[in-house]
Amino acid sequence: MINLRDKGAEFWERSNRPVRVLTVFAILAVIAALPYAGNSFLQTPIAAFDAVLVYPMGMFILMALGLNVVVGKSGMLDLGYVAFFAVGAYTMALLSTHTGLNTWEIMPIGIVAAMIAGVLLAIPTLRLRGDYLAIVTLGFGEIVRVSALNSESIGGALGIAGIPFPPGLGFEYQLLDQKYFYWTILVMILLVIWVIRRLTVRRPGRAWESIRQDEDAAELMGVSTYKYKIWAFVFGAAIGGGAGVFYASRSMVIAPDNFTLNTSILILACVVFGGMGNIWGVIVGAAILGYLPDRFRFLSDARLLLFGLVLVIFMNLRPEGILPRKKREKAIVKKDSGASL
Amino acid sequence: MSKTILNLKDLTIKFGGVTALNSVNLELKEGEILALIGPNGAGKTTVFNLITGVYKPTSGNVFLGDVAIDGKKRHHITKLGIARTFQNIRLFGDMTTLENVITASDVRNKVGLIGSILGTPRSRREEKASVAKAHEILKFIGIDEYADRLAKNLPYGVQRRLEIARALGTEPKILLLDEPAAGFNPQEKVELAATIKKIRDAGYTVLLIEHDMSLIMGISDRVAVLDFGQKIADDLPSVVQNDPQVIAAYLGVPADAS
Amino acid sequence: MFDTLIHQFWSLTYSGIALGFIYVLIAMGYTMVYGVLRMINFANSEIFTVGAFATMIVSKYVFDFSLEMIPPSNAKLFLVIICCLAASMLVSGLLAFLVELVAYRHLRNRTSNRIAPLISAIGIGIVISEVVRILTRARTQFSPNVVPKKVLFTFQGAEIRLDNTVTIFAGLALFIILERFIKLSRLGKGIRAVSMDEDSAKLMGVNLNRVISLTFILGGLMTGAAGFFYVNVYENVKYNMGFSLGLAAFTAAVIGGIGNIRGAFFGGIALGLVEIYASAIVGTQWKPVTVFIILILILLFRPNGIFGEAIQKTRV
Repeated sequence: MINLRDKGAEFWERSNRPVRVLTVFAILAVIAALPYAGNSFLQTPIAAFDAVLVYPMGMFILMALGLNVVVGKSGMLDLGYVAFFAVGAYTMALLSTHTGLNTWEIMPIGIVAAMIAGVLLAIPTLRLRGDYLAIVTLGFGEIVRVSALNSESIGGALGIAGIPFPPGLGFEYQLLDQKYFYWTILVMILLVIWVIRRLTVRRPGRAWESIRQDEDAAELMGVSTYKYKIWAFVFGAAIGGGAGVFYASRSMVIAPDNFTLNTSILILACVVFGGMGNIWGVIVGAAILGYLPDRFRFLSDARLLLFGLVLVIFMNLRPEGILPRKKREKAIVKKDSGASL
Repeated sequence: MSKTILNLKDLTIKFGGVTALNSVNLELKEGEILALIGPNGAGKTTVFNLITGVYKPTSGNVFLGDVAIDGKKRHHITKLGIARTFQNIRLFGDMTTLENVITASDVRNKVGLIGSILGTPRSRREEKASVAKAHEILKFIGIDEYADRLAKNLPYGVQRRLEIARALGTEPKILLLDEPAAGFNPQEKVELAATIKKIRDAGYTVLLIEHDMSLIMGISDRVAVLDFGQKIADDLPSVVQNDPQVIAAYLGVPADAS
Repeated sequence: MFDTLIHQFWSLTYSGIALGFIYVLIAMGYTMVYGVLRMINFANSEIFTVGAFATMIVSKYVFDFSLEMIPPSNAKLFLVIICCLAASMLVSGLLAFLVELVAYRHLRNRTSNRIAPLISAIGIGIVISEVVRILTRARTQFSPNVVPKKVLFTFQGAEIRLDNTVTIFAGLALFIILERFIKLSRLGKGIRAVSMDEDSAKLMGVNLNRVISLTFILGGLMTGAAGFFYVNVYENVKYNMGFSLGLAAFTAAVIGGIGNIRGAFFGGIALGLVEIYASAIVGTQWKPVTVFIILILILLFRPNGIFGEAIQKTRV
């Protein structure tokens, strides 16, 4: 069977810099042009294709990248990831409706708020392992949701409405043509990918990998496991919070119902489907899982069922995810930093 | 007389009703190879666990130089200069040989998350240095040709040596080896003995748990014997070898039973 | 605020104990599996849901029980009770067996990925509850109660009802049978051996797969019985009923010391009482969150529970 990934890797290795740059541009151009493909076979019956590209596809990709650092790279099963998303969204909702700040000004605040939530969650729970961490993080997500539900001051069950779109720079964000939202989230995704790649090939990535594989041995080899676990949580939370700010700004209305346990599970399924720890797999996986229920009506109601099946089937039969496995053994050290023998 | 760099004083640990170590006193002198032997269950790995901070003693102390390190956090103890290998191989299987060593050497690096994201010149420098250092260690141990192989795919003997290389990656002063020769054939044991000597000659101090007597007698400067959680001998190899108490502990029968 | 509690104290207490026994039975599913696998059986809440549905289906569709039917004779009633209880227990036991087979067995021994079986079990739980949701169109089904809610006598102003009483006594009987089985039978000893030291148990000739399957089945039987009792008392089933009850039962298991069967008994009864009393004092608005908070506090400050062993030990 042709291993596409290895063929691609070979092509990349053989190419010189100009070819590489051109390839990347070509791929980005295709991806950026996707909103215009709305009338092709990709068309989604229920919501408009360009809207689907933003949510769920774009948002799932972004959040899956964040959760991937926590679950996939560091091996900590966080079932309450939606809480960070909610914190970001509510920060946006409250600040935009009560102050004159716009989305871009609120974005760093929302991210910081989510990071604080991440620290608050991390500190008590990091002593727990495996299943217990899963249950406690699940609880955290539910506590956030129920608190929002029961707090009339932030809208209670009805949530908050009237959240403005982000201010455009020379263009206007629109509801009926979501391409600006799409390109914005594309930029966010690229930024996150860049940061994660940097972390992966350096000390934090190694620390997280060692924690995932054998936390006790890692600690005895000098890895500050506590510190790096908190960092994983906080980093994942930052991404979730940023995604939440963006989501609120685009959705105009948010309510506790948008932030249920189901969402945490959906994002987890994206990570599992893509292959835990595997950035590109997670991106492709999240895109596919975000897209399919909107493309095929019969999957739409059974979305959660589909994701549950993904969890069971992939965990058992193909834990490395949908992308073909690399034959070459991967390196988590930058290639050009090596002193040759 | 060389100085004592590690000192176990009246070290005791109890688990529930079982006293695993009972007031053990042991001094490790700088630059020596000290072998810790004893029947299974005598408490040898427990000693390692106490030194490296996996357990806290019920009473007594572990002194590194003048500092009591019992009760300190494990990665902190590693930073202070103590590293170990494991009885059951516990490598980071999904990482390459090189990465295993680099991960261990990260403890000596200063750059953290922010520096890594920003890609500061210092972080680039440290990365380059880490890779070079790791290759050096692998060459020293003799497994550099396996640098880019995943640890879980390595042959058993190479894995055992990688465990040692990884521990060396943390730039320790003291190296604790827990049954490094387990599963080795005689030829491999000879090579291992030479490697351990080489390590000591390079300036490290080695505390070694082993069962193979000829290996121990060949390279150890001193031998300490544990039995049922107590130290029953602590002397030159030749003396310990003929100690009736030691013989009884291993065979269960006094040498001159009536 | 405390009026209801004081005036209806004995009534609330009796309800609390009955609810407590339901928790105890579900907790068996969690605590026994943790004892042998050192993992949480995430799908136990759905095993409970299916057991509850089994009782509803058997009583409603097999025996044509309905809300306005003529009360059947005692003999027939007894038959129906036995059938429903058996159906619930067997269905849940079977489902538990399948859950182990599909979600846990294959992944159990992969030490490099400890969270894989958990994710797999969560997935199975979701699949089960979603199937139920789609089949029931997410609607709550009302179930006729099988054991009549007849008042037997009154004690200090509290009505001692038949359904609560049956729950308590039958629950107690089941618990005692289970506990004796574990203590005295050969299979039970196998379970205890594996939960103490898996490697030694294997060396002693214990068939690990069989013991683990059996543990799941036993837990499933108990959880299924809990489903029967729940339907009797509360008279409704819904696809997501397992979530909060499973969580409460798990918390009960942790309170008592996870892996410890007698501890789970204490934890279950205690939690049932606490929940009923708390509802009388502050209402049920914050209930799901309260259980989580109790659980988190216990895991943080007393992870051993009241009687149990330490949850995680570093193994070096």
